[in-house]
Amino acid sequence: MWSLAEYRYVFMVAGLIGIIVLSIPSALVLVHPSGGERFSELYVLGSGHTAEGYPFNVSAGENYLVYLGVGDRLGSAAYYEVVLKLRNSSEPLPNATSGVASPLPVLYRYEVFLTDGQTWEGALNFSFSDVVFGENVSSVGMMRVNDDWVVVNKIAAWDSENSGYFYEVIAELWLYDSASSSLSFNDRFIALWLNMTAAL
Amino acid sequence: MSAQVLGMGRGLGLRYWLRIVTVVAIAVCLLASLPRVSGVSAEDAATAVAGADHALQVAFVTVVDTERAGGNVSGLIARLNEAGSALTSARGAFDAENYLDAASLAASSEGLADGVVADAGVLKEDAVDQVAGWWMTVLFSVVGCAVFVMVLFLEWRRFVRFHADRLSGSRPEVVG
Repeated sequence: MWSLAEYRYVFMVAGLIGIIVLSIPSALVLVHPSGGERFSELYVLGSGHTAEGYPFNVSAGENYLVYLGVGDRLGSAAYYEVVLKLRNSSEPLPNATSGVASPLPVLYRYEVFLTDGQTWEGALNFSFSDVVFGENVSSVGMMRVNDDWVVVNKIAAWDSENSGYFYEVIAELWLYDSASSSLSFNDRFIALWLNMTAAL
Repeated sequence: MSAQVLGMGRGLGLRYWLRIVTVVAIAVCLLASLPRVSGVSAEDAATAVAGADHALQVAFVTVVDTERAGGNVSGLIARLNEAGSALTSARGAFDAENYLDAASLAASSEGLADGVVADAGVLKEDAVDQVAGWWMTVLFSVVGCAVFVMVLFLEWRRFVRFHADRLSGSRPEVVG
C-alpha cells in the first residue's frame, strides 16, 4: 500500500497533466511564434533566374532581361514600390546610410503587395535606342522598360580606367508607411552597371 | 444684267462649296488621325492616374486593418497586385501620351482597389467574429483549468480523510 506522500505525487502529476491538456486551446490562440528580425529584401537575378548571366555589354536595339525580387519579412502585409532610374557614373546614387533616394527621374515603377514571408519576382525587360557615340562621349536617347519607352537623354563620358561608356540601372525599394500615408525610400537599392557599346 | 449676276453667282457658289467640302474633309482627316486627343485630355488622364494611385493606398490601409483584426488577406493582396499592375500600365500609357488608355487602365485599377476595400470590410467583420470565438475558447479553457484544479483539490482532501480513516481502522490493537 502506498503512503500518503506517494498519493500526493500521483495527484500532483494528474493535476499537472490536466492543466496542460486544458490550457492547450488557450496556448494555441495566445502564443504566436516570434517573427525574429524584421526586414525587407531586394535582389536582382539574371535571365536564368540565377545570380549569374547579368547583362553588362549592351548596345542599341538589343533586348536584355533580368528579374527583380522583393521579400517581405516585416511580420505583416507590405506595399512596396520598386523604382527604376538610370544614371551615369557622375550622377548621384541613393544614399542608404542617410536614407535619401537618388534625385534622378523615375523611369518605371513596379507596385508590389506582399504578405509576411512572401516574395515577388518581376521581369525587367529593357533595351536602348537613339544611342550616339562621339569623341570620348556617348549618349542614350531612349530606354524601353518592359512595354514603355522612356526618354532618358543620358550622356556618359569615356571611362579610360575601365575602358567603357558606363551607365547604371538603379532599382530602389520604397515602402508604404501607413502613419505618414506615403511611400518612402527603404534604404535598399541595387545597381546594374552597363557598358554601352556600338551595335554590330 | 440679271443673267450675268446669276452666272457670277453660280461660279462663286461652286468654288465656295468646293472650298467648304475641302475644309470639312481635311478636318475629318485630322480628327480621324488624332483619336486619342478627341477622347481624353492629358489633365483627365493625370487625374485618373492620381485617383487610382490614391485608391490603391486606401485599399492597402484597409487590407492591413483587416490583417490586424486577424483576417487572412492573401487573396486581397493578390488582387491588389492586379490593381498595381494596371496602375503601372496606366502610367506607361500616360508617359506615351496615350491618354485614353491611361484613363481606362487607371479606372480599371481604381475599380479593382475599390473592390478590395469592399471585400476587406466583410473579411474584417468575419475576422472580428472569429477572434471573439477565440476569446471564448480561452475563457472556457481558463475556467476549465480552475474547475479542474478545485475539484482535484477537494478530491485530494476527501482522499486524505479516507486514507486517515482507513489507517486508523487498520491500526493494530493489543488484545488481552
